[in-house]
Amino acid sequence: MIIHPERFDVVVIGGGHAGVEAALASARAGASTLLLTQSIETIGQMSCNPAIGGIGKSHLVREIDALGGAMAVAGDRAGIQFRTLNESKGAAVRATRAQADRSLYRGEVRRIVESQPNLSLFQQPVVDLWVEDDRVRGVDTAMGLRFMTNRVVLATGTFLGGRIHVGLETAPGGRAGDAPSNRLAERLRQLPLRVGRLKTGTPPRIDGRSVDFSVMEVQPSAEPRPTLSFLTSAADHPRQVPCHITHTNPATHEIIRAALDRSPMFSGAIEGVGPRYCPSIEDKVVRFADRQSHQVFVEPEGLDTPELYPNGISTSLPFDVQLRAVRSIRGFENASVTRPGYAIEYDFFDPRDLAPSLETKVIEGLYFAGQINGTTGYEEAAAQGLLAGINAARAAAGEPAWCPARHEAYIGVLVDDLINLGASEPYRMFTSRAEYRLRLRQDNADFRLTPVGRELGVVDDARWQVFTDRRARIDRLRRELHGQRVHPGSDLARALERESGAALAKDSTLLDLLKRPSITAAALLEAGVAADEAALVQVEIDAKYAGYIRRQDEEIEQSQEDDNAPLPSDFDYASVAGLSNELRERLRERLPATVAQASRVPGITPAALSLLRVHSRRHAEADNTVDDQAQRA
Amino acid sequence: MPAVKRDTIAAIATPPGRGGIGIVRVSGSGVADLVEGVVHRPTPPRQAVYADFLDANQIPIDTGICLFFPTPNSFTGEDVAEFHGHGGPVVMDRLLGRMVELGARLARPGEFTERAFLNKRMDLAQAEAVADLIDSASRRAAQAAMRSLAGEFSAQILALDSRVREARMHVEAAIDFAEEEIDFLGDSELKARLEGVLTGLGDLLEESGRGQVLRDGLDVVIAGAPNVGKSSLLNRLAAEERAIVTATPGTTRDAVHAEIEVQGIPVRLTDTAGLRQTSDDVESIGIDRARAAIAGADLVLAVTDAAAPTVDADANLRECERAQGTTILVVNKIDLTGESAGQAGETLRISARTGAGIDDLKRRIAELAGIAPTESTYLARRRHLQALEAAQACARRALRRTGDGAGELAAEELRLAHEALGTIVGTTTTDELLGDIFSAFCIGK
Repeated sequence: MIIHPERFDVVVIGGGHAGVEAALASARAGASTLLLTQSIETIGQMSCNPAIGGIGKSHLVREIDALGGAMAVAGDRAGIQFRTLNESKGAAVRATRAQADRSLYRGEVRRIVESQPNLSLFQQPVVDLWVEDDRVRGVDTAMGLRFMTNRVVLATGTFLGGRIHVGLETAPGGRAGDAPSNRLAERLRQLPLRVGRLKTGTPPRIDGRSVDFSVMEVQPSAEPRPTLSFLTSAADHPRQVPCHITHTNPATHEIIRAALDRSPMFSGAIEGVGPRYCPSIEDKVVRFADRQSHQVFVEPEGLDTPELYPNGISTSLPFDVQLRAVRSIRGFENASVTRPGYAIEYDFFDPRDLAPSLETKVIEGLYFAGQINGTTGYEEAAAQGLLAGINAARAAAGEPAWCPARHEAYIGVLVDDLINLGASEPYRMFTSRAEYRLRLRQDNADFRLTPVGRELGVVDDARWQVFTDRRARIDRLRRELHGQRVHPGSDLARALERESGAALAKDSTLLDLLKRPSITAAALLEAGVAADEAALVQVEIDAKYAGYIRRQDEEIEQSQEDDNAPLPSDFDYASVAGLSNELRERLRERLPATVAQASRVPGITPAALSLLRVHSRRHAEADNTVDDQAQRA
Repeated sequence: MPAVKRDTIAAIATPPGRGGIGIVRVSGSGVADLVEGVVHRPTPPRQAVYADFLDANQIPIDTGICLFFPTPNSFTGEDVAEFHGHGGPVVMDRLLGRMVELGARLARPGEFTERAFLNKRMDLAQAEAVADLIDSASRRAAQAAMRSLAGEFSAQILALDSRVREARMHVEAAIDFAEEEIDFLGDSELKARLEGVLTGLGDLLEESGRGQVLRDGLDVVIAGAPNVGKSSLLNRLAAEERAIVTATPGTTRDAVHAEIEVQGIPVRLTDTAGLRQTSDDVESIGIDRARAAIAGADLVLAVTDAAAPTVDADANLRECERAQGTTILVVNKIDLTGESAGQAGETLRISARTGAGIDDLKRRIAELAGIAPTESTYLARRRHLQALEAAQACARRALRRTGDGAGELAAEELRLAHEALGTIVGTTTTDELLGDIFSAFCIGK
C-alpha cells in the first residue's frame, strides 16, 4: 500500500455530471479537492442522449448555474440546437432544452475542471473505501494507492454492478463501453446501506449519411435563441443545426411484437425497474398496443460527426431485430446502425439512507450523489453533485450543511423527495413534483440562489457582479413603474388600451397594471413606456405571480414551524392509536424524518398529523429528560 | 410568547345543545384583530366585557361577554378570546362564521388541546391523553359529519375527489409532457369537466345546507341480546312509553328512537333489535340495522340480564366492542337478583323496572358526553362544508384560468382544490398523480 503524500479535504469519485459539479463546488467553496476518475478522457461524458435541459430539468440547470456550477455554461458553449418549451404557458413552467455536441460538451467541461483552482485530477479506478469506526478515512485505488481524506463524495453513476443486456446476451459493463466498477460495488454492498437495482436503456445509434431527412419534420433552433446560463448569450453558441422528427409505424410494431420472446425485458432476465416515463420501444408497443405510431426525435450527436441519436426507440432487443425495426421507420429505410441499443442494470443505494446534506446516515463523511441515488438524468445528477460537494467542503471546514427547502429550489424538492420517498423507479424531475412551482422558476433562479451561493463561497466575483447589476436594473425599474400613475383617458392609458384590449377605468400605477393578465411587458413597450426590455419582462413575471406567491407564502409559513418537529427513525407508529393500519404501514415503510415529511405520505389526514405532532413532542422531551439525567449522572 | 406563530383557529367551546350559554373560542396570532372586528370596545386582558358581537355590516349577531386572554397566560398559551353568547345553534354558527370571515380557520378536532400541549401549557405526562382526545374527537367528528350531511356524503366527496384528480392529471401532463403526442384535453373539454366538478360541489353544498334539521348531541345506542330489557331501559330513560315492551324475545324488530336530555345535553337514544342468531327474515333485517346503529354510535349501552347470563351475552359484548364509540356495560334486572345498584368494576348495575342505578347511568352518560364538548356535529359539518367551499372557490378560479394560456395557474388552483378535498378524504401525492399520468398516457422519448 502506497500512501499518497497529499491529503485532500474532499475526494470525489467519478467524473460524470454529479462528480464534476461536486468537485468544482467543493473546490470553489475552498476545500482542497481531488477528482478521482477511471478515465480523464471521459470527464463530462454524456452517456445517454446528447441534450441538456427540458421541462423541470432546465429549472435544475438554472439553479446549478445560479450557484456557480458548470453545466449551464458548458451546455451553452456546446449547444447546437436550442428550444424553449411550454412557450405558450406561463414563465413558471417555461423551460429550455439544448441539443449538445457531445465532444464540445466534454471539452468545455474538461476545460472548466482543469482551470479550477483547488482541484486536482487523478486517473485510477477506486476499489475500496477505508472506513473506520463508521467514519471515512480514505480511498484505495486499483494499483494499491491510498488517498487519505475524511470526506468522500461517491458519484459512480451506473458503474456499480453494471450489467448490459442486448437480446438474451448479457455482459458486465458500465455506460457507453466503459468497464463497470464491480470491485467497488462488492465492497459497498458490505456497508450497512440498502441496495436496489434499476434499469435504463439507450437506442441504437445511426449513421446520418444513410438517413433520408427530406421525409422528416424539421425542428430548427428557436429564435430568439434561449440560453441555459445567466452569464451567456446566443453569441456563445456554436453553429446551430436542426433536429428531425419521424415516427414508428405498424410494421415496426409488428417486428418488435414478433421478437418479444427474445427480449430480456419480457424474459425476466432484467430484474431492475425501468422508468415509466422513458420506456423502451418494446415496452411502449406492449403497454400501449392501440397506438399506431410513436415519435422518434432524430438528434445529431455533434457538428463533426454524422452519428445520430434516435430518441424514443431505446431497446434491448437482439441486434437483428433492432436493425429491422430501425429500417421499418420512415427515413431510416437504408439506415446503417453504428452502435446497438442496450439496456443496463445497475446498483443504486436507497436514498432514504441519506441525510438532507446527501451524507449517508451511517458513515460519517461519505456522501452520495447522482445516479447512485436512484436518479436519472445529467441535470438531476449535477444538482446532487453540487449539493454534496458544497456540503462535503463545509463539513471539512466545520460548517453546518446547507439544505435548501422545497419552496426554495428544485434542488430542495429533488433531495427531499429522494430521502423521503426513495426511488421505486429512476427518479426524474418534473415541475409537478414542486408544490411551490410558481416561485421556483428559471427566470428567478439567480434571485433565489445566487445570494446564498455567494455566502456559501461558490459564486465568484464575475457572476456576483452580473447578478447585482441585473438586480439593480430590475429594482430601479420596479420603483419607476410603481411611481408612474396612469390616469384614465390619458394618452398612455389610451395607448395601453389599444395594445392590450383591456379597459382602464381607474387610476393605477404601471406596476399594478402589469398584474393584469392582459397587460404585458410587450404592450407597455408598444404603448411607449421607456424601459429595458429584459428588466421589464422580469418585473412583469414577478407582478403576474405576486398574488399567488403571497398565498403560497402563507401556506409555507403555516406549515413550516410545527412541521419541522422530528420523527426519529425508531418512532413507534404502532403506539400511535388512531392511525389506520394502512397509514401506519406506509409511515413505517417510509420513516419520514419530520412531520412535514409525513405530510407527504399518501392518504395522510390532518388528524393523523396532529397525532404525530403530539407524539413527536413527547418523544423529543422524553429524550431531553433522559439526556439531562445522563448529564447529571 | 409562544415560540411558534400559528394561524388563528376557532371553534364552539360549549357542549352542543340549546342550553343557556354558548361559547365561541379563538386562538392564534390574529386574535387581537379578530376581537377588534367583532367587539367595538376596548377589551382589557382577562376582564369580562359586555358587548354586541357585530357582523360585517355592524349589525349585532348576539350580545354577550367577551374575554381576551393575551399570550402566554391562556389555555393554549397563545392569544385566546372567548365570546359568550346565547347559545342557540344558529347564533353560535353565525358567530363562528364571523370568525372565519375575519380570517380564522375552523379548528380541527382537539386542536385547542393540541396547541396547549405543543406550547407546553400541558404536562408531558398528558401526551397520551391529548393524543387520545385528538383521536376520539377526530373519529367522532368524521362520524358526526357523515351523519349530519346528506346520506351519500362520503361517496360523493370521494367521487368529486377523483374527478378533480383526473382533471389535474390532464392539466399536469400538458405542462410536464408538452412534447409528447398525448391527446391533451382541449380547453373546452377541460372547462366542461371543471363545470361538472363545480356542479357536483354546488349540489353537495346545497344539499347539506338545505333545511337540515340540526341533530346535535350524543348518539346513544342500547344494544344486547333479546329480552335483556333494552326497551324497558329506553322507556325508563325517556320516562315515557316509547317502545313496545313484551316478554316475547325479538319484539323490537326495528330501531326505536327517543330524544331526551341528560343533564342539559341532548341525547338521541336508539333502541335496537336483540342480537341473536335467527332464521326470521324480518328479525334479521332488524339485527343488521342494530349492528349499523352500534357501529355509528357515540356511546353504546351494552345491556345484559343479571338474572339470565347467557352465552349470547358474551357474543353481544364482542359485537359492541367493534363500535367506534365508547361502550358502557350495563347489567339490568338487578331487582330479580337482589344485587346492589351502581358501578361495580367494569359494569354498571341497574334495574330499568325499579329505576335503581338509573341516576348513576345518566351521570356516566353526561361524563362521556363532556369529554370533547367542542366537537359537536355542528362544527364537524361546518368544517367539512368549509373544505368543500374552499374547493369550490379554487375550482371556480381554475375554470376562469382555463384557456388563457396560463396552464400553470389553473394547475395551481386545482392543486389547492384537491388539497381542500384531501382534508376530508386524505391527500393525494404528486407521486400518485404522476403514476396516473404514466398509466394513462404513453410518455417517453
